[in-house]
Amino acid sequence: MATTKVPEVRDIMRIERIGAHSHIRGLGLDDALEPRQVSQGMVGQLASRRAAGVVLEMIKDGQIAGRAVLIAGQPGTGKTAIAMGIAQSLGPDTPFTAMASSEIYSLEMSKTEALSQAFRKAIGVRIKEETEIIEGEVVEIQIDRPATGTGAKVGKLTLKTTEMETIYDLGNKMIDSLSKEKVQAGDVITIDKATGKISKLGRSFTRARDYDAMGAQTQFVQCPEGELQKRKEVVHTVSLHEIDVINSRTQGFLALFSGDTGEIKSEVREQINAKVCEWREEGKAEIIPGVLFIDEVHMLDMECFSFLNRALESDLSPVLIMATNRGITRIRGTNYQSPHGIPIDLLDRLLIITTSPYTEKETRQVLKIRCEEEDVELSEEAHTVLTRIGMETSLRYAIQLISTAGLVCRKRKGTEVQVDDIKRVYSLFLDEARSSQYMKEYQDSFLFNETQTSAMDVS
Amino acid sequence: MDADSQFVLQYMTEIEEAAEDVLTTKQQILDLNIKRNTNREALNALKTAVCDSEKVQVCFGNMFIKLPTSKTKEILKRDQEQLDMQINDLRKGLKAKVNHVYEMQGKPELRGYNLCPLTSDEVMAINSILKG
Repeated sequence: MATTKVPEVRDIMRIERIGAHSHIRGLGLDDALEPRQVSQGMVGQLASRRAAGVVLEMIKDGQIAGRAVLIAGQPGTGKTAIAMGIAQSLGPDTPFTAMASSEIYSLEMSKTEALSQAFRKAIGVRIKEETEIIEGEVVEIQIDRPATGTGAKVGKLTLKTTEMETIYDLGNKMIDSLSKEKVQAGDVITIDKATGKISKLGRSFTRARDYDAMGAQTQFVQCPEGELQKRKEVVHTVSLHEIDVINSRTQGFLALFSGDTGEIKSEVREQINAKVCEWREEGKAEIIPGVLFIDEVHMLDMECFSFLNRALESDLSPVLIMATNRGITRIRGTNYQSPHGIPIDLLDRLLIITTSPYTEKETRQVLKIRCEEEDVELSEEAHTVLTRIGMETSLRYAIQLISTAGLVCRKRKGTEVQVDDIKRVYSLFLDEARSSQYMKEYQDSFLFNETQTSAMDVS
Repeated sequence: MDADSQFVLQYMTEIEEAAEDVLTTKQQILDLNIKRNTNREALNALKTAVCDSEKVQVCFGNMFIKLPTSKTKEILKRDQEQLDMQINDLRKGLKAKVNHVYEMQGKPELRGYNLCPLTSDEVMAINSILKG
């Protein structure tokens, strides 16, 4: 397959650790929402990717707030990858919260509290801050101190931009804060008009040669353009959960950073909802319904499912994406059987996307992408062997073998992973099927052995 | 010229005109701002340097006129108010104009562009999130 390689520029900081889905950069769709066979780290799964693309467009338009999508499929068929792809394509401005169902079983807060926090993390509120500032390069500061030592100081501050220059008379307070900030001629400063706060942006380039030696922290900036008095507007996006935390009085704002927020009273939530709705009506805020992704959704129990039913109907509700690898199974907390372990009434509200197992060619492609991601060179034969292993055992196992084989290869100072390296790690690490086989053979010699036990109940 | 290139030409002209409009408004705001600042300097100077009973020389166009200080102050203050209002109006108009240029170029509208700003109290309350 002839592919032109486009070098992708990535942050050095971000490749320090490589996660299972770090190679996913989007859904790999073209402008007409047609999936490309291999693109943005995605391989195959054309139908499901196309479906996800449609969902994505609807999310972007804000059309399906309060709806839910279920991604169902066998293990290792790229369910989480598709969810990650959606998250990546949404861009940084739409809130995306990912959680595993088991996270809600915590001793510190109730299940529904954990769920509502997750829901509210996935809703963004866009607000705007407006400040009048004076921004310019200091031409001259002149401060007259009275001869007696006490009494009011007076001063003059000359500021300029590339277009204009003016003189400000200074009062006592401004003089104090100017000397506190150690402002001198040649600095570029901003003064907040409402609060009088002075901040230094750096030194002007034109003054770069004033001194021969300067501290490393000295930053040089251009002399500002345009008028001196500017109006600065900054748009922020915060999540509802963050506003909740700030306002739940017992915690104080430090709770946001420790991550331990405890329970938030429902009254606080209601107040916040009311305030945000008021802001929205006054045109002060926009609500951005984001995406909440719940992995392994069959681990939720009956209470949570009915909570979801209810929560989806609220007008401040994000798009819910769930993933599961279960077939018809028992709903947790009940004795009823249901498809995907999800109650029928909730299933009825979902858009369901299915993923199918990868073909051999696709497996080969996925392995190739992972090799690039993990910086492992693979010889052609080793690649074929690994693909075989991936087909016969599981894709995840084959992916595990990449990095381990890479290590073995480096140990013998090779540059390219050969078939022997794969063989070696294949004998070192068992896959799931071989491990179970081993269990069956040597069951008698393990401790607490109960020969009667049938398949483990995992639900 | 065939119809296509005619269309493109017209389209480009329209965009250029809109962009030019934005630039002129910006320049206008700048000019008004310069005037506002000189007025402010003058007011400050009158407050500190001259006592009220004297007359001051005021430059109108290219002519100096002697006016009583109080009268001058009043004129300047009125002028300032007028300028403040004009600048505000221009700024409001500028937003719509920039939006128009974006729209013509087929770019997405700026996010949160049309929001009203929060009041300073509200900003204060929410500040701990914004800074974090």
